[in-house]
Amino acid sequence: MSRPMSLASSIQAESARLAAACTGCGACVEACPMPDFLGLAPAAPPAVAAGMRAALQGAPVSPEGLAWVGACTRSGQCNAACPEALDVALMLRLAGMRLKGALGEPPRLPVPGDAGWAARVKAFARMTLTEEEQARWL
Amino acid sequence: MALTFWYGCNMTRHGEVIRLAMRLLEAVGIEAEATGGPASCCGSPKEADARISGGMAERTVARFNASGTPQVATWCPSCHMNMQDWMAPGVPRNFETLHLTEVLHARRAALRPLLVQPVPARVLLHRHLGFDGRVPVNRMVAELLALVPGLTLVEHPLAVPGHMCSSLAAVPGALARAQRATLEAMAASGADTLCTLFHSCHRDAVTLERGRDLRVVNWVHLLAMAAGWPVEDGYKTWRNAADPRAAVGEAGLAAAGEAGFERLVEPELRRAPPV
Repeated sequence: MSRPMSLASSIQAESARLAAACTGCGACVEACPMPDFLGLAPAAPPAVAAGMRAALQGAPVSPEGLAWVGACTRSGQCNAACPEALDVALMLRLAGMRLKGALGEPPRLPVPGDAGWAARVKAFARMTLTEEEQARWL
Repeated sequence: MALTFWYGCNMTRHGEVIRLAMRLLEAVGIEAEATGGPASCCGSPKEADARISGGMAERTVARFNASGTPQVATWCPSCHMNMQDWMAPGVPRNFETLHLTEVLHARRAALRPLLVQPVPARVLLHRHLGFDGRVPVNRMVAELLALVPGLTLVEHPLAVPGHMCSSLAAVPGALARAQRATLEAMAASGADTLCTLFHSCHRDAVTLERGRDLRVVNWVHLLAMAAGWPVEDGYKTWRNAADPRAAVGEAGLAAAGEAGFERLVEPELRRAPPV
Protein backbone atom coordinates (compact mmCIF):
# COMPACT_ATOMS: atom_id res chain seq x y z
CA MET A 1 0.00 0.00 0.00
CA SER A 2 1.66 3.23 -1.10
CA ARG A 3 1.35 6.44 0.84
CA PRO A 4 -0.41 9.24 -1.02
CA MET A 5 2.64 11.44 -0.57
CA SER A 6 6.26 10.31 -0.37
CA LEU A 7 8.25 11.08 2.76
CA ALA A 8 10.37 13.53 0.79
CA SER A 9 7.25 15.38 -0.33
CA SER A 10 5.91 15.33 3.22
CA ILE A 11 9.16 16.80 4.53
CA GLN A 12 9.00 19.58 1.95
CA ALA A 13 5.34 20.35 2.57
CA GLU A 14 5.60 20.31 6.37
CA SER A 15 8.82 22.33 6.29
CA ALA A 16 7.17 25.04 4.20
CA ARG A 17 4.04 25.11 6.35
CA LEU A 18 5.91 25.32 9.64
CA ALA A 19 8.50 27.80 8.41
CA ALA A 20 5.73 30.10 7.23
CA ALA A 21 4.03 29.94 10.62
CA CYS A 22 7.22 30.55 12.62
CA THR A 23 7.76 34.15 13.69
CA GLY A 24 11.38 33.55 14.69
CA CYS A 25 10.82 34.98 18.16
CA GLY A 26 13.41 32.65 19.72
CA ALA A 27 11.28 31.47 22.65
CA CYS A 28 12.06 27.89 21.63
CA VAL A 29 15.80 28.54 21.86
CA GLU A 30 15.43 30.12 25.29
CA ALA A 31 13.52 27.07 26.54
CA CYS A 32 15.96 24.55 25.08
CA PRO A 33 18.31 22.82 27.57
CA MET A 34 20.97 22.07 24.99
CA PRO A 35 22.75 25.42 24.53
CA ASP A 36 23.75 25.28 28.19
CA PHE A 37 24.68 21.63 27.89
CA LEU A 38 26.88 22.35 24.93
CA GLY A 39 28.39 25.61 25.97
CA LEU A 40 27.41 27.07 22.63
CA ALA A 41 28.69 30.53 21.92
CA PRO A 42 26.13 33.10 23.04
CA ALA A 43 23.82 34.21 20.27
CA ALA A 44 20.54 36.05 20.29
CA PRO A 45 17.72 33.45 20.43
CA PRO A 46 15.85 34.99 17.48
CA ALA A 47 19.00 34.69 15.35
CA VAL A 48 19.37 31.03 16.30
CA ALA A 49 15.71 30.33 15.57
CA ALA A 50 16.05 32.08 12.25
CA GLY A 51 18.70 29.55 11.35
CA MET A 52 16.27 26.71 11.91
CA ARG A 53 13.64 28.45 9.83
CA ALA A 54 16.15 28.99 7.04
CA ALA A 55 16.97 25.27 7.09
CA LEU A 56 13.27 24.49 6.66
CA GLN A 57 13.17 26.82 3.68
CA GLY A 58 16.26 25.29 2.12
CA ALA A 59 18.07 28.62 2.53
CA PRO A 60 21.62 29.23 3.82
CA VAL A 61 21.86 28.55 7.56
CA SER A 62 23.90 30.56 10.06
CA PRO A 63 26.58 28.71 12.07
CA GLU A 64 24.61 29.18 15.29
CA GLY A 65 21.45 27.85 13.65
CA LEU A 66 23.36 24.87 12.32
CA ALA A 67 24.83 24.15 15.75
CA TRP A 68 21.45 24.34 17.45
CA VAL A 69 19.67 22.08 14.97
CA GLY A 70 22.56 19.63 15.16
CA ALA A 71 22.39 19.54 18.95
CA CYS A 72 18.68 18.74 19.19
CA THR A 73 18.09 15.77 21.47
CA ARG A 74 14.29 15.94 21.22
CA SER A 75 13.74 17.27 24.72
CA GLY A 76 10.54 18.88 23.52
CA GLN A 77 10.76 21.90 25.82
CA CYS A 78 10.50 24.12 22.76
CA ASN A 79 6.93 23.05 22.06
CA ALA A 80 5.53 24.36 25.31
CA ALA A 81 7.43 27.62 24.87
CA CYS A 82 6.22 28.44 21.36
CA PRO A 83 3.69 31.31 21.45
CA GLU A 84 2.33 30.11 18.10
CA ALA A 85 1.80 26.59 19.52
CA LEU A 86 3.92 25.12 16.74
CA ASP A 87 5.46 21.67 16.97
CA VAL A 88 8.98 23.04 17.19
CA ALA A 89 10.44 19.65 18.00
CA LEU A 90 9.14 18.43 14.67
CA MET A 91 10.51 21.55 12.99
CA LEU A 92 13.94 20.76 14.39
CA ARG A 93 13.66 17.16 13.26
CA LEU A 94 12.69 18.22 9.76
CA ALA A 95 15.45 20.82 9.67
CA GLY A 96 17.94 18.22 10.87
CA MET A 97 16.88 15.74 8.22
CA ARG A 98 17.20 18.36 5.51
CA LEU A 99 20.61 19.45 6.78
CA LYS A 100 21.76 15.84 6.73
CA GLY A 101 20.82 15.66 3.07
CA ALA A 102 17.53 13.77 3.31
CA LEU A 103 16.23 15.46 0.18
CA GLY A 104 19.33 14.76 -1.83
CA GLU A 105 21.17 17.99 -1.14
CA PRO A 106 24.79 17.95 0.09
CA PRO A 107 24.81 17.34 3.87
CA ARG A 108 25.58 20.33 6.04
CA LEU A 109 25.39 18.35 9.27
CA PRO A 110 27.36 15.17 9.95
CA VAL A 111 25.45 12.02 9.09
CA PRO A 112 26.01 9.42 11.79
CA GLY A 113 26.97 6.35 9.86
CA ASP A 114 26.47 2.87 11.24
CA ALA A 115 26.82 0.48 8.37
CA GLY A 116 26.57 -2.45 10.75
CA TRP A 117 23.35 -1.36 12.41
CA ALA A 118 21.03 -4.04 11.03
CA ALA A 119 23.62 -6.80 11.37
CA ARG A 120 24.32 -5.72 14.96
CA VAL A 121 20.62 -5.77 15.84
CA LYS A 122 20.40 -9.30 14.46
CA ALA A 123 23.59 -10.47 16.17
CA PHE A 124 22.25 -9.35 19.55
CA ALA A 125 18.92 -11.00 18.74
CA ARG A 126 20.69 -14.31 18.19
CA MET A 127 22.40 -13.88 21.56
CA THR A 128 19.34 -12.91 23.61
CA LEU A 129 16.37 -14.60 21.95
CA THR A 130 15.69 -18.29 21.48
CA GLU A 131 15.42 -19.61 17.93
CA GLU A 132 11.67 -19.87 18.35
CA GLU A 133 11.45 -16.27 19.56
CA GLN A 134 13.57 -15.09 16.64
CA ALA A 135 11.29 -16.91 14.22
CA ARG A 136 8.19 -15.33 15.75
CA TRP A 137 9.37 -11.90 16.84
CA LEU A 138 11.94 -10.70 14.31
CA MET B 1 -4.48 -11.14 18.27
CA ALA B 2 -5.45 -8.11 20.31
CA LEU B 3 -2.18 -6.24 20.20
CA THR B 4 1.24 -6.13 18.53
CA PHE B 5 4.13 -5.24 20.80
CA TRP B 6 6.44 -3.31 18.47
CA TYR B 7 9.65 -3.37 20.43
CA GLY B 8 11.81 -1.62 17.84
CA CYS B 9 15.34 -2.41 16.68
CA ASN B 10 17.96 -1.94 19.34
CA MET B 11 15.90 -3.71 21.99
CA THR B 12 17.31 -6.99 20.76
CA ARG B 13 20.18 -6.35 23.18
CA HIS B 14 17.63 -6.89 25.92
CA GLY B 15 15.72 -9.98 24.87
CA GLU B 16 14.65 -10.58 28.45
CA VAL B 17 12.82 -7.25 28.53
CA ILE B 18 10.86 -8.22 25.41
CA ARG B 19 10.08 -11.58 27.00
CA LEU B 20 9.04 -10.07 30.34
CA ALA B 21 6.93 -7.39 28.64
CA MET B 22 5.10 -10.10 26.73
CA ARG B 23 4.57 -11.99 29.97
CA LEU B 24 3.20 -8.87 31.64
CA LEU B 25 0.78 -8.33 28.75
CA GLU B 26 -0.39 -11.92 28.99
CA ALA B 27 -0.73 -11.62 32.75
CA VAL B 28 -3.15 -8.70 32.41
CA GLY B 29 -5.20 -10.58 29.83
CA ILE B 30 -3.89 -9.20 26.56
CA GLU B 31 -3.20 -11.55 23.69
CA ALA B 32 -0.12 -10.14 22.00
CA GLU B 33 2.52 -10.84 19.41
CA ALA B 34 5.91 -9.15 19.39
CA THR B 35 7.69 -7.75 16.39
CA GLY B 36 10.82 -5.72 15.85
CA GLY B 37 14.23 -5.69 14.24
CA PRO B 38 15.21 -4.20 10.89
CA ALA B 39 12.27 -5.83 9.09
CA SER B 40 9.81 -3.61 10.96
CA CYS B 41 11.90 -0.48 11.25
CA CYS B 42 10.40 2.98 11.64
CA GLY B 43 13.00 4.37 9.25
CA SER B 44 14.74 6.48 11.87
CA PRO B 45 18.24 4.97 11.35
CA LYS B 46 18.15 6.09 7.74
CA GLU B 47 16.70 9.56 8.27
CA ALA B 48 19.44 11.16 6.19
CA ASP B 49 17.83 9.65 3.10
CA ALA B 50 14.11 10.32 2.79
CA ARG B 51 13.68 7.76 0.03
CA ILE B 52 15.09 4.90 2.11
CA SER B 53 13.60 6.07 5.39
CA GLY B 54 10.18 6.55 3.84
CA GLY B 55 10.33 3.16 2.19
CA MET B 56 11.15 1.44 5.47
CA ALA B 57 8.35 3.25 7.25
CA GLU B 58 5.86 2.45 4.52
CA ARG B 59 6.79 -1.22 4.62
CA THR B 60 6.30 -1.38 8.37
CA VAL B 61 2.88 0.29 8.27
CA ALA B 62 1.87 -2.11 5.49
CA ARG B 63 3.05 -5.04 7.61
CA PHE B 64 0.94 -3.92 10.56
CA ASN B 65 -2.06 -3.36 8.31
CA ALA B 66 -1.69 -6.83 6.81
CA SER B 67 -1.41 -8.45 10.24
CA GLY B 68 -4.89 -7.28 11.16
CA THR B 69 -3.73 -6.12 14.56
CA PRO B 70 -6.07 -3.49 16.01
CA GLN B 71 -3.41 -1.99 18.28
CA VAL B 72 0.34 -1.48 18.07
CA ALA B 73 2.08 -0.88 21.39
CA THR B 74 5.47 0.74 21.04
CA TRP B 75 8.47 0.53 23.32
CA CYS B 76 10.90 2.89 21.65
CA PRO B 77 10.08 6.61 21.79
CA SER B 78 11.74 7.16 18.40
CA CYS B 79 9.46 4.57 16.78
CA HIS B 80 6.45 6.05 18.55
CA MET B 81 7.16 9.61 17.46
CA ASN B 82 7.98 8.57 13.92
CA MET B 83 4.70 6.70 13.69
CA GLN B 84 2.84 9.79 14.83
CA ASP B 85 4.85 12.30 12.83
CA TRP B 86 5.18 10.78 9.40
CA MET B 87 4.62 7.05 9.23
CA ALA B 88 0.91 7.20 9.90
CA PRO B 89 -0.33 10.58 8.64
CA GLY B 90 -1.82 10.28 5.21
CA VAL B 91 -1.42 6.51 5.12
CA PRO B 92 -4.48 4.27 5.44
CA ARG B 93 -4.18 2.33 8.68
CA ASN B 94 -6.35 -0.15 10.47
CA PHE B 95 -4.58 0.02 13.83
CA GLU B 96 -4.08 2.53 16.61
CA THR B 97 -0.73 3.27 18.21
CA LEU B 98 -0.16 3.27 21.95
CA HIS B 99 2.89 3.04 24.14
CA LEU B 100 3.41 -0.09 26.24
CA THR B 101 3.27 1.97 29.42
CA GLU B 102 -0.21 3.18 28.45
CA VAL B 103 -1.40 -0.38 27.95
CA LEU B 104 -0.08 -1.66 31.26
CA HIS B 105 -1.04 1.46 33.17
CA ALA B 106 -4.63 1.12 31.94
CA ARG B 107 -4.61 -2.47 33.23
CA ARG B 108 -2.90 -1.77 36.53
CA ALA B 109 -5.90 -3.07 38.47
CA ALA B 110 -5.20 -6.45 36.90
CA LEU B 111 -1.49 -6.06 37.51
CA ARG B 112 -1.78 -5.20 41.18
CA PRO B 113 -2.69 -8.70 42.50
CA LEU B 114 0.30 -10.20 40.68
CA LEU B 115 2.85 -7.96 42.32
CA VAL B 116 3.20 -9.63 45.69
CA GLN B 117 6.95 -10.16 46.12
CA PRO B 118 8.60 -7.36 48.08
CA VAL B 119 11.35 -5.57 46.17
CA PRO B 120 13.18 -3.59 48.83
CA ALA B 121 14.77 -0.72 46.99
CA ARG B 122 15.04 3.05 47.03
CA VAL B 123 14.53 3.85 43.40
CA LEU B 124 15.34 6.93 41.36
CA LEU B 125 13.38 6.98 38.13
CA HIS B 126 15.58 7.91 35.20
CA ARG B 127 13.28 10.54 33.74
CA HIS B 128 13.86 12.36 30.47
CA LEU B 129 12.40 15.70 29.47
CA GLY B 130 11.49 14.51 26.00
CA PHE B 131 8.73 12.11 24.89
CA ASP B 132 6.90 12.69 28.19
CA GLY B 133 4.99 15.46 26.41
CA ARG B 134 3.62 12.86 23.99
CA VAL B 135 3.05 10.02 26.41
CA PRO B 136 3.33 10.74 30.13
CA VAL B 137 5.73 7.88 30.72
CA ASN B 138 7.38 9.48 33.74
CA ARG B 139 4.11 9.60 35.66
CA MET B 140 2.75 6.29 34.44
CA VAL B 141 5.87 4.28 35.23
CA ALA B 142 6.04 5.91 38.66
CA GLU B 143 2.44 4.83 39.26
CA LEU B 144 3.21 1.30 38.08
CA LEU B 145 6.21 1.12 40.40
CA ALA B 146 4.01 2.32 43.26
CA LEU B 147 2.29 -1.09 43.00
CA VAL B 148 5.51 -2.89 43.94
CA PRO B 149 5.61 -3.84 47.62
CA GLY B 150 8.73 -2.76 49.47
CA LEU B 151 9.79 -0.31 46.79
CA THR B 152 10.25 3.35 47.59
CA LEU B 153 10.36 5.81 44.74
CA VAL B 154 12.53 8.69 45.85
CA GLU B 155 11.60 12.27 45.11
CA HIS B 156 14.00 14.21 42.95
CA PRO B 157 13.37 16.78 40.23
CA LEU B 158 16.05 15.45 37.88
CA ALA B 159 14.89 14.99 34.30
CA VAL B 160 17.72 14.83 31.81
CA PRO B 161 17.51 16.31 28.32
CA GLY B 162 16.66 14.29 25.27
CA HIS B 163 13.95 11.78 24.54
CA MET B 164 16.31 9.00 25.58
CA CYS B 165 20.02 8.63 26.20
CA SER B 166 20.96 7.73 22.64
CA SER B 167 20.16 11.29 21.61
CA LEU B 168 22.54 12.61 24.26
CA ALA B 169 25.24 10.20 23.18
CA ALA B 170 25.38 11.99 19.85
CA VAL B 171 26.33 15.30 21.49
CA PRO B 172 29.92 15.36 22.76
CA GLY B 173 30.01 15.34 26.55
CA ALA B 174 26.26 15.48 27.01
CA LEU B 175 25.72 11.88 28.08
CA ALA B 176 28.57 12.03 30.58
CA ARG B 177 27.16 15.22 32.06
CA ALA B 178 23.70 13.67 32.31
CA GLN B 179 25.11 10.57 33.98
CA ARG B 180 27.03 12.65 36.52
CA ALA B 181 23.83 14.54 37.30
CA THR B 182 22.05 11.22 37.72
CA LEU B 183 24.66 9.97 40.18
CA GLU B 184 24.40 13.22 42.12
CA ALA B 185 20.62 12.87 42.22
CA MET B 186 20.91 9.31 43.52
CA ALA B 187 23.31 10.41 46.25
CA ALA B 188 21.17 13.39 47.22
CA SER B 189 18.00 11.34 47.44
CA GLY B 190 19.51 8.27 49.05
CA ALA B 191 18.58 6.03 46.13
CA ASP B 192 20.26 2.66 45.80
CA THR B 193 18.62 1.74 42.49
CA LEU B 194 18.35 3.55 39.18
CA CYS B 195 15.30 2.58 37.17
CA THR B 196 15.62 3.16 33.44
CA LEU B 197 12.65 3.75 31.18
CA PHE B 198 14.08 2.93 27.78
CA HIS B 199 16.53 0.49 26.23
CA SER B 200 19.07 3.06 25.05
CA CYS B 201 19.23 4.59 28.53
CA HIS B 202 19.60 1.14 30.05
CA ARG B 203 22.48 0.06 27.86
CA ASP B 204 24.38 3.22 28.71
CA ALA B 205 23.42 3.37 32.40
CA VAL B 206 24.39 -0.18 33.34
CA THR B 207 28.05 0.82 33.48
CA LEU B 208 27.23 3.12 36.40
CA GLU B 209 27.29 -0.03 38.53
CA ARG B 210 31.05 -0.36 38.05
CA GLY B 211 32.79 0.38 41.33
CA ARG B 212 29.67 1.89 42.85
CA ASP B 213 27.25 0.53 45.42
CA LEU B 214 24.15 0.85 43.28
CA ARG B 215 22.19 -1.16 40.78
CA VAL B 216 20.60 -0.30 37.46
CA VAL B 217 17.39 -2.01 36.42
CA ASN B 218 14.61 -1.33 33.98
CA TRP B 219 11.04 -0.76 35.12
CA VAL B 220 10.01 -4.03 33.47
CA HIS B 221 12.64 -5.85 35.55
CA LEU B 222 11.16 -4.37 38.74
CA LEU B 223 7.61 -5.39 37.87
CA ALA B 224 8.82 -8.89 37.02
CA MET B 225 10.71 -9.14 40.32
CA ALA B 226 7.53 -8.17 42.15
CA ALA B 227 5.67 -10.87 40.24
CA GLY B 228 8.24 -13.39 41.41
CA TRP B 229 9.51 -14.14 37.93
CA PRO B 230 13.16 -14.92 37.23
CA VAL B 231 14.94 -11.78 36.07
CA GLU B 232 18.22 -11.76 34.24
CA ASP B 233 20.12 -8.98 32.50
CA GLY B 234 22.58 -10.57 30.14
CA TYR B 235 23.58 -7.30 28.49
CA LYS B 236 24.52 -5.75 31.84
CA THR B 237 26.56 -8.82 32.76
CA TRP B 238 28.45 -8.72 29.47
CA ARG B 239 28.95 -4.96 29.47
CA ASN B 240 30.37 -4.87 32.98
CA ALA B 241 32.52 -7.98 32.71
CA ALA B 242 36.29 -7.57 32.79
CA ASP B 243 36.35 -9.92 29.82
CA PRO B 244 33.10 -9.58 27.86
CA ARG B 245 34.08 -12.40 25.51
CA ALA B 246 34.41 -14.80 28.42
CA ALA B 247 31.18 -13.54 29.94
CA VAL B 248 29.27 -14.13 26.73
CA GLY B 249 30.61 -17.67 26.64
CA GLU B 250 30.84 -20.21 23.89
CA ALA B 251 27.11 -20.49 23.35
CA GLY B 252 26.73 -16.74 22.97
CA LEU B 253 29.70 -16.53 20.63
CA ALA B 254 28.30 -19.34 18.52
CA ALA B 255 24.93 -17.60 18.36
CA ALA B 256 26.40 -14.28 17.27
CA GLY B 257 28.98 -15.92 15.05
CA GLU B 258 32.66 -15.36 15.76
CA ALA B 259 33.12 -12.77 13.02
CA GLY B 260 29.89 -11.01 13.89
CA PHE B 261 30.77 -10.90 17.57
CA GLU B 262 34.21 -9.51 16.90
CA ARG B 263 33.04 -6.88 14.43
CA LEU B 264 29.61 -5.89 15.71
CA VAL B 265 29.22 -6.81 19.37
CA GLU B 266 32.57 -6.83 21.12
CA PRO B 267 33.54 -3.21 20.37
CA GLU B 268 30.32 -2.02 22.00
CA LEU B 269 30.78 -4.22 25.05
CA ARG B 270 34.36 -3.01 25.49
CA ARG B 271 33.64 0.68 24.88
CA ALA B 272 34.72 2.97 27.72
CA PRO B 273 31.79 4.03 29.89
CA PRO B 274 30.66 7.69 29.72
CA VAL B 275 31.70 8.30 33.34
